[in-house]
Amino acid sequence: MQRTALVLGYAISGPALMGIMNGCKAAPELTYTPSFFTKEQAETVSELAQLIIPKTDTPGAKEAGVPGFIDQILQECFTTEDQQRFMTGLTEFEADMKASFGDTFVYLDAEKQTQAFQKHHDAAVEAARAKPSEPKPFVLMVKELTLLGFFTSEPGATQVLQYEAVPGRYTGCAPLAEVGKAWAS
Amino acid sequence: MNLNIDAENELTYDAIVVGTGISGGWAAKELTEKGLKTLVLERGRNVEHPNYPTATKDIWEFENADRPTQEDLKQQGVQNRTGYTIRQSTKHWFVNDLENPYTEKEGKRFDWMRGYHVGGRSIMWGRQSYRWSPMDFEANAKEGVAIPWPVSYNEIAPWYEYVEKFVGISGQPENLPQLPDSVFLPPMELNCVEKELKKSMMDKFGRMLTIGRVAHITGPLSHNESGQRGNCQYRNLCSRGCPYGAYFSSNSSTLPAAAKTGNMTLRPNSIVHELIYDEKLGKATGVKVLDAETGEQLEFYAKVIFLCASTMGSTYILMNSKSSRFPNGLGNDSGELGHNIMDHQLGVGAGGEYDGFDDMYYAGRRANGVYIPRYRNIGKDKRDYLRGFGYQGGASRQGWSRMVAEASFGVGLKEAVTRPGKWTMGIMGFGEVLPDHRNFVEMNYDKKDKYGLPTLSFDTEFHENELNMRKDMKADAAEMLEAAGIKNIYTFDNPTGLGLGIHEMGTARMGKDPKTSVLNKYNQVHACKNVFVTDGSFMTSASCVNPSLTYMAFTARAVDYAVQELKKQNI
Repeated sequence: MQRTALVLGYAISGPALMGIMNGCKAAPELTYTPSFFTKEQAETVSELAQLIIPKTDTPGAKEAGVPGFIDQILQECFTTEDQQRFMTGLTEFEADMKASFGDTFVYLDAEKQTQAFQKHHDAAVEAARAKPSEPKPFVLMVKELTLLGFFTSEPGATQVLQYEAVPGRYTGCAPLAEVGKAWAS
Repeated sequence: MNLNIDAENELTYDAIVVGTGISGGWAAKELTEKGLKTLVLERGRNVEHPNYPTATKDIWEFENADRPTQEDLKQQGVQNRTGYTIRQSTKHWFVNDLENPYTEKEGKRFDWMRGYHVGGRSIMWGRQSYRWSPMDFEANAKEGVAIPWPVSYNEIAPWYEYVEKFVGISGQPENLPQLPDSVFLPPMELNCVEKELKKSMMDKFGRMLTIGRVAHITGPLSHNESGQRGNCQYRNLCSRGCPYGAYFSSNSSTLPAAAKTGNMTLRPNSIVHELIYDEKLGKATGVKVLDAETGEQLEFYAKVIFLCASTMGSTYILMNSKSSRFPNGLGNDSGELGHNIMDHQLGVGAGGEYDGFDDMYYAGRRANGVYIPRYRNIGKDKRDYLRGFGYQGGASRQGWSRMVAEASFGVGLKEAVTRPGKWTMGIMGFGEVLPDHRNFVEMNYDKKDKYGLPTLSFDTEFHENELNMRKDMKADAAEMLEAAGIKNIYTFDNPTGLGLGIHEMGTARMGKDPKTSVLNKYNQVHACKNVFVTDGSFMTSASCVNPSLTYMAFTARAVDYAVQELKKQNI
């Protein structure tokens, strides 16, 4: 019901209208066509992923195709139970965005987005440390999928980290300074 | 009449080998090199070196970061009990569980991990290769467990050497009585933290840590007859199949050698489900085959038959071969056929973090770990259980996945992740499982596989000796890591069924006495002299070391004996 209400909320106010009303930025462009998420859910997850891995002098989550990766892996690899846990988490996250920050996540300005994410992320990291055997809180599910998608992508593995397809040798003890960056795998 | 005779001749060979895994490949090589026209039957599809479909793909070429989909798990849920086998890059090497069902006694898991294709599990094996010690062969007799081994270490030692020279075993000589050295290729290197643990273990416990002994080419291999074996490239993608032929598999090693003789006929998609027993001759004259592609029923004939269809595969064939002479399965006068299932118990150990060596790292992906040879119940050490265990494990620096639990995100995360994380070290025990008549497999004629053939039903569990040993496997791991200065130590003890070690063995054991064993000391069925069984089913006990090298040595020895016996016209 919560999820339906949220979707209806979008439908009634309309993203453009909301943007105008709140004086915030326009809806972000989706970099893929979602199959598992609704367009609005996909936008939120996509922006969250980009916040976790932003574009710098190397590609970010969106440039590496992470949003589409998350949509697909949730649909194909997650159990129904875990899918539901993710969706419930997303709904609750958005509910808090509205309650605490006055709008859905994607329409918050960059500073508020970071502030909002930081709040949820800090709490989730804390909760996960306190109870490591419990299922991960929503933002850590998003973070985990983002990191998984990004560091197993070609840009993530080869530009941010270091990757050798065929190392050809194994050196057990080598100075880090000589090896350079962390290995992707 | 003439036509019939001709047809039979086409279907008649000197030898038949059933199965193409570690043992079948060796039987094929040895028989063909000794000049026997040999038919090699494999129930699964053909796989030719170096055509392994995923071997050279990068991680980003796989859907879902190589993870299994829910649909994969529906098809291969049992095969995924390991937690590591069903991946986009490797799932094609494991059977479809819906098409290949088996039954487990209620409340008792049996984890039967297998692949049906040419090469069998020699494609996905762990490649860890250890000789048994004299102590392993003597234990049953000394302790009065099950039945004595009919073979001593000294008898099998030359055969270890024989196969090692062809296989290529990388390792470090350590001169340990409980773990004899093989003929080694150069060892792989330990990393900084593993060296620390090695030193600490020797100083504080007098226990050895050595680099894993693996069937990888790490230097000149004297034979290299196949021309298909190259040096290890340290990609650590072995279970996809190695296009360099850097590790030993039937596909890269023994089958090409057999093919080169011109004496091998390899027939994939050929499910052997029964031996043909001739009551008058007192011999098996051939095998019944179901063609997996056409559904055709075929028969092939030979003077000698080598069953190398895997422990459960060969046991199935024997149990399913009923005649008035053998109403309980071929060679089963003892009633031991299908019993005494063993494996190695694992899933228990410890790990932790190491502070230090922050400025040290490694380069290349070593497809190998460290090995801690057995030290329990050796010399003056006496425990409340029999036998012992070894550990496998290793150290590495944490990668990107550590960042999930860390407070950073955004630019900070992207920057921090370029540095390797803390060193971590983990070890997991591989414990000996005693032979026990109560652990058994039997035919299930009610449940059929996709070909309409009967299936197997397992009734196995770990008993007191294994459970007592398991306590030490956990506690010792933590103690040794702690002594080496490892911090934040955690222990783990994940329940498994027998089988999860993927070292199932013992169901057609060898022994001196036909009343208590199925095979004699040459892997020859006591009561049917032209049938040899050389996969894990012949094992009379399990040791705690990985078994494949021992299967190879016994297979080569059994072929040598069988060919001598053929020449003497004894079979």
